[in-house]
Order: sequence, then structure tokens, then C-alpha cells
Amino acid sequence: MGCEVVTVSADTQFVHLAWQREEKDLENVTFHMGSDRNGDLAKQFGVWNGGFCLRGTYLISPEGKLMNSEVNFLNLGRNIDETMRKFKANIYLGKKPNEGCPSKWKDDGDTTLTPGPEMVGRVHQAHN
Amino acid sequence: MTENAILQVGDTVPDFTLTTYEPTTKGFGEYKLSEAMKNGKWTMLFFYPADYTFG
Repeated sequence: MGCEVVTVSADTQFVHLAWQREEKDLENVTFHMGSDRNGDLAKQFGVWNGGFCLRGTYLISPEGKLMNSEVNFLNLGRNIDETMRKFKANIYLGKKPNEGCPSKWKDDGDTTLTPGPEMVGRVHQAHN
Repeated sequence: MTENAILQVGDTVPDFTLTTYEPTTKGFGEYKLSEAMKNGKWTMLFFYPADYTFG
């Protein structure tokens, strides 16, 4: 898919191993399970919460640019459909940087917007 | 960027290396951002509070 997923917490790689081996939901995962013991990486993204990480999701382009960020508090899980939507949109916009993907954009082929004078006050028409 | 500034969307992410557990090989490894970039890969970082919690 062209994307490496890295999960990150302050747990050690040993605990990652034990958790992955035990938890049925993690049986078939293929992502990298990163250990950020002292929160060095989490601090750079502003998600270090006194000993553990907030639920932050970040998308970094192959050029090393931070393209997307989302932070949920400790008790709110993330929706993978929305994460994937944003990932696909970033790939699409990488190829067509002059277009915009509106909120309802889901996949290649859906309506995009191209900002310009004719769209001012006419987003509704461009959308429908 | 000042030393302790939090990264913002649009910023270049400084290179980092994380020690990892790799479920595919059942072994330990390393994830290096610059290595993924060299291979033309996107990187999705997925922070969470602790093992044995939900996503």
C-alpha cells in the first residue's frame, strides 16, 4: 500500500511481544510495534501525557513532511475508515495538488473541488 | 523550528529511530523514518497510551 504503520507506546518491545501473542485481536497484525520508553518521539508531536501517550495519529509523506494529525483523548478510540479516507486523500492530492478533497470525498473518482474565482459563493453547485 | 517546538502539519519531521517488536517475524527490530523515506514509503504513526488497552 506504500505505507508503513508504526504503533507507538511507552511500553517496551518485550511487552509488545507478550501483548501481541496473547490478544486475539492482534493475531494477524503486520504493523511495527514501536517502543518510545521516555516519550522522546511523543513529546515532539505533543502527545506525551505524563508517562504515556495520547491517542495521536500522524501521517508522514515519503518526503518526510507531516501531512495529517489527529489527537483523541485517552478514552476515545479512532475510526480506521476516517484514517484511511485521509490517507487516500493525501495520496490523491499528492498527484493533483491543485484540487481539494471535500469532507464527503472517500476515494479516487469522487467529486473534488478546484478552488478559483468561479467557486466563490458557489461551493454548493460545484459539489452537487 | 525552535528546539522544543511541537511539530505542526506541514513541518518536516526530524529523523527518528524506534526499537520495535515485529509481529511478522516475531523478533525485535528498528524503525527508522529516513529508511522508509528512502523506500518511497509513507509512515503512519499511531500513538496509544499502553499495551492491553483498545485502539
